[in-house]
Amino acid sequence: MKDYDSKNSNSMLDDEEELTVKQLTDGLEKLDQWNPVSTPNLQWFQQNVELEKKRIRKKQWKDLLTFISVAVLVLSVVIAVVYRQPILFLYFQLVGIILLPVALNKTRKKVSNE
Amino acid sequence: MDEKDLIRKAKKGDTLALSKLLQQNYSFLVKYLMKVTLHPQVAEDLTQETMMKCIEKIQLYNGESKFSSWLITIATNLFIDQKRRKKLENNWLEQEQVLRKMKWNAANMNEDWADVLDILAQIDEGIRMPIVLKHYYGYSYGEIGKMMGLAEGTVKSRVSNGLKNVRKELADLEGL
Repeated sequence: MKDYDSKNSNSMLDDEEELTVKQLTDGLEKLDQWNPVSTPNLQWFQQNVELEKKRIRKKQWKDLLTFISVAVLVLSVVIAVVYRQPILFLYFQLVGIILLPVALNKTRKKVSNE
Repeated sequence: MDEKDLIRKAKKGDTLALSKLLQQNYSFLVKYLMKVTLHPQVAEDLTQETMMKCIEKIQLYNGESKFSSWLITIATNLFIDQKRRKKLENNWLEQEQVLRKMKWNAANMNEDWADVLDILAQIDEGIRMPIVLKHYYGYSYGEIGKMMGLAEGTVKSRVSNGLKNVRKELADLEGL
């Protein structure tokens, strides 16, 4: 009897859930009806794709130049330190070796993949 | 030309193929964003952003999921990011105005307003999104989890509790 009751209440719950889902999908479908989407023509998409590709290329060049500039600067400083004050360079290396395990053990934040 | 060919060409840098792909999925994307944002302007803006992101990341599309699902994933993450950025802004008033405008439009079309949309608008988007993805689009809990960067169990409980909440609110409204 208990089994029957629980089955009965479960199926009632399922029915109620189905009804809620139905109301939900009907409401969302109405939303589509009230807000019709007009898709732009192919030319509009082509223009946007071209523009975006151009912007990406420009950004990539900018990033590359920034990277090279920073790399040259860092390398120049390192070379200057090695030639002028080698002991200071050794100190830097020592500090680096000490800090390396700390940097490696640092938990990395998980990023969502797109 | 079918979608697979278009994707293959788009990945090789074919602008026309990529444009066709975006055009084919445009309406689907706007409609999806409309359902999760419940805000036509935000949906339009996010569609543009999603397309820009898609142009940039098309090389990373691996074909494991459908192209439209991949777009939904990008759009979902952009929406989550946007919400996170604007968390401190109190924009419930704006959402209220948008809903009022939609109700007015519906009334002009001689249509009855769906109360469930009011309830959906009150729910946090972190719960609204999985409900829409599960019960309107029919994605599995695992797929939604991948899209939103959540565990399958989390998605399941959010959908279940969210739906219970919707049912309760609907019952309260009907009881009035």
